[in-house]
Amino acid sequence: MAEISLVDVSMRDGNQSLWGATGLNTAQMLAIAGATDRVGFSAIDFTSSTHMAVAVRYFRNDPWERIRRMRAAMPNTPLQFITTGMRFIAWQQADPDFMALVYRHLQVAGIRKFIMLDPMHDAEAVIEAARLVKREGGAQVMGALTFTLSAVHTDRFYADFARKLAASDDIDCFYIKDPGGLLSPDRVRTLAPAVKAAIGARRLEIHAHCTIGYGPLTSLAAADLGIVDAVHVGVGPLGDGSSLPEAGRMLANLKAGGHSVNVDEAMLAKVSDYWWRLSRAEGLPAGAPQTFDASFLRHQIAGGVMTTTRRQLEELGLAHRFDEVVAETERVRAELGHPIMVTPFPQMVMSQALYNVIGARRYAQVSDEVLRYVMGKFGRPTSPLDPAVESAILDRPRAAEVAAEPPFPTLAELRRKWGAHLPEEEFLLRAVMPPAQVDAMYAAGSSSAHYNPAAAPVLRLLKELAARPAARDIVIETADTRLALHGGAHVA
Amino acid sequence: MIRRLFIANRGEIALRIARTAQRLGMTTIVGASQADVTSLPAQFADEVALIGPAPSAQSYLNVEAVIAAAVAARADAIHPGYGFLSENARFAEATIEAGMIFVGPDVTSLNAMGDKLMARSVGLAAGLPVVPGGEAATPEQAMARARETGFPVLLKAVAGGGGKGMKRVDRADDMPAMIAMAMSEAQAAFGDPRIYVERFIARGRHVEVQVLGDGHDALHLGTRDCSIQRRFQKLVEEAPAPQLADATRNGLEQAAVALTRHLAYRGAGTVEFLVDAQTGDFFFLEMNARIQVEHPVTEAITGVDLIEQQLLVAAGSRLGLTQDAIRPSGHAIEVRINAEDPAADFRPSPGRVTRARWPAGPGIRIDSHIATGWVIPPTYDSLMGKLIVWARDRPAAVALLASALATLSIEGVPTTAPLHRRIAADPRFVAGGVDTRFLEGLA
Amino acid sequence: MNEPFLTPEDIADIVAILDGSDYRELDVATARFRLTLRREGGGEAGGRWSQEWQWAAANGPAAVAVAVVQDTPAGLVAVAAPLPGAFYRAPAPGAAPFVEIGARVDGDTVVGIVETMKLMNPVHAGHAGEVVAIVADNGAMVEGGATLMHIRPHA
Repeated sequence: MAEISLVDVSMRDGNQSLWGATGLNTAQMLAIAGATDRVGFSAIDFTSSTHMAVAVRYFRNDPWERIRRMRAAMPNTPLQFITTGMRFIAWQQADPDFMALVYRHLQVAGIRKFIMLDPMHDAEAVIEAARLVKREGGAQVMGALTFTLSAVHTDRFYADFARKLAASDDIDCFYIKDPGGLLSPDRVRTLAPAVKAAIGARRLEIHAHCTIGYGPLTSLAAADLGIVDAVHVGVGPLGDGSSLPEAGRMLANLKAGGHSVNVDEAMLAKVSDYWWRLSRAEGLPAGAPQTFDASFLRHQIAGGVMTTTRRQLEELGLAHRFDEVVAETERVRAELGHPIMVTPFPQMVMSQALYNVIGARRYAQVSDEVLRYVMGKFGRPTSPLDPAVESAILDRPRAAEVAAEPPFPTLAELRRKWGAHLPEEEFLLRAVMPPAQVDAMYAAGSSSAHYNPAAAPVLRLLKELAARPAARDIVIETADTRLALHGGAHVA
Repeated sequence: MIRRLFIANRGEIALRIARTAQRLGMTTIVGASQADVTSLPAQFADEVALIGPAPSAQSYLNVEAVIAAAVAARADAIHPGYGFLSENARFAEATIEAGMIFVGPDVTSLNAMGDKLMARSVGLAAGLPVVPGGEAATPEQAMARARETGFPVLLKAVAGGGGKGMKRVDRADDMPAMIAMAMSEAQAAFGDPRIYVERFIARGRHVEVQVLGDGHDALHLGTRDCSIQRRFQKLVEEAPAPQLADATRNGLEQAAVALTRHLAYRGAGTVEFLVDAQTGDFFFLEMNARIQVEHPVTEAITGVDLIEQQLLVAAGSRLGLTQDAIRPSGHAIEVRINAEDPAADFRPSPGRVTRARWPAGPGIRIDSHIATGWVIPPTYDSLMGKLIVWARDRPAAVALLASALATLSIEGVPTTAPLHRRIAADPRFVAGGVDTRFLEGLA
Repeated sequence: MNEPFLTPEDIADIVAILDGSDYRELDVATARFRLTLRREGGGEAGGRWSQEWQWAAANGPAAVAVAVVQDTPAGLVAVAAPLPGAFYRAPAPGAAPFVEIGARVDGDTVVGIVETMKLMNPVHAGHAGEVVAIVADNGAMVEGGATLMHIRPHA
């Protein structure tokens, strides 16, 4: 029927959904970069400011170096960077001059496709950010329609938003992004055509998480409409679960549906094999197909946040009120103007629901994050807040303190603070990250480019043994390998 | 896209190419002579193809045999390694005619740079300074040239490289015999006996620049110093070249990029220069249009996999690297461990290796196809393996080299390891910036 | 696909781990290879490490046909190949041979070339006398010590 391409999200969205902060380092990505480049994906969902911060904080990998080296190893497949537009690593929005510098360096390092994802769907803000990206280089810009279920987020809502974006020459293409896994096949059959009508000839991609099992079916339904050009997938263990549909299975299903997909299946199998061996070697859980959970469509809180909240209630001796908290979550979300449940909003909304349930009255206790949200520091909320709730939230001394928080410094102020002589990449990191973390990253030097999943278990075993007092002789035998360690003469 | 790569070479470079090619998901086929069918590269690769009997002329240097084997193996591309047919334009053409990709530069570049005389004139056209000298089609012309430039002179193979077929001649009386031997060695190594004459510069440093091009863009990956040579064969190489004035270093790098651009060169190459140790003046010598033995030292300081870049460019991609992305750090040194007896004037010493203990550890890389119990045949060159060290600065690299050499233990055949230990301990080497006469002064 | 179990980078990583321990040797054996990593120099911290590989498959190149060493007839002496390689009778292809049967030579006369690892090694007669037989063929691979020609020494 149609020519469909695939976008591989394994290294960022798949990694983040399934393996979180303990996920992948530079070496593990570089080791499979060449083969990945040869599969024929139309883009790689590669990094974001969160992804870059994790590189610095947990792995001491230079995130700029990581982009450069991936680009060198992957000349054929564009690397994608996803951003809310005006923020870089820090939670606060930065000034346009600062963001322009960020976008310049991302493109110089090798990013060739940007996704502007504003969960508030503020068209002006997205267009402004896209303009900045384009000014600093020739990368593609993709506008995101972030899906959620609410009275406000209708097909008409998304079509209007898409139409506003399409009026700008700086937006090249669009995608329907469903981070919550809430988009059903029935819904996409009305949503996608509405969006396509608004964007005309520009390309449309589908990115549907599998959290409650919809992802693969929704992606196929979208493909069958004949108006979708690319499907986002995760490879091997980095597909399914709360990630995107698994690539090999999606490829087979698309072909079964009569679509043509121009990828090298043998190479895809090699890449999948690598991720499987890595996941086993590192003890990282593989995504599995998910069963349908109807309640999720209402509360929309992902598993991790639910688990944490349940534990907090247990510690307070209030485990029996969990269902109340879940119901309260829906109410809070509506009152706060239907924020889309992407980080940080799920945590924010559910914590507020928890406070509302266990507190003296609703909104007696309010977190700083909620205050900032209400004040618009995360951007303009999509639909108006409930006025009574809004005044209740702002009616406290802490509100004045939060309002008086200094905004993100201007570029000029940051330059003055850090001196004019720092290399710009280093300057951009130091502007937004704790000095100790950045220092540690530079001290660690250039990242390793080497990862061998076959050797990783051996290395781990040896590390464990080396950390313990040495034995005279240790022999470990498996079906195909014999390892013998011998201690020195002075070992007892 | 290259799916099946035929490796038309042997020894450590065949293994090196196969490692990267497999990482990229390619199926690797090693083209091996009868003597090499059970060698380490042949075992490592996915498939082995027999290309002929042991002697190189009938196997690794036999264009028809190699092409036929690659075609029979359904290869998409041939990587020629270094030496053998790697700079042979007829081989490149035959590869392309047979419907395969040649992993190397275009035939025009091979022709321009393979004939060292042509290379000199191309270098001049690109604005590079060259060493005084010129071509010699006959022994009489060679004598005339030598008288022009003045003795001592160097006789070099027109089709050559790798220091082979090079002879230094100090006196006119020695010329006839030396010309004959130079032509004979050139014929044996490259299948072409032509030579040219060049002034011999007494206090010179051999500094080369690694370049990459994709036919549109060109960039350099810094310098290497290969001044420690014996009979024009490199023994020790390091990156970056130490003790160079910034102006000289920049000049070399820019000249190398200029030549690469001038040729619209595609692939990996090395531009070799002679640097006057005293003045810092430099002269273009030749460009090696292939991967070189000493490429690991550049890989160590830049983190770039040069074989990978060769394969990407050969498959038609533009370079994903930019000059800005090349950020060398640290210092790397390579020593070539040859099966030669330094005590017997470096006579080649083929035989059975009863023990091969190589050093190991952080900062140490061994590129070798020789393990305990292996036989080194007399049929091919004497390179057993390369020891490469990397450290944060040159003094640390020198110390690591000394320590690694102390751990190296090869028994059963004499090797150049003892020589390298003496080199590593020599105060002039430790200071850095030595010239090509270094070995003469070795204690 | 013959993917290696342990790459050179893995070796460096393993040594880094073991160096911080009291172990002095690691032996890894699979069906295809055996690797021994050994701390040289007695096992104290700071001892240097070595790697030794042995491969299960036929170790090294297959046999190459060579000319054999022959017994020398009485009254004659043999000119032996100084090292293994390819024996050539002339300085260059197509040129006249260094010596023919009947040539008079002295100890230093170059009578042939043995090419080893692409370098030409001259073969000296070693005796004053007359060349009476050329035993090895032009272009033949010879072992070190193989007889190349026979000389009847002068009295």
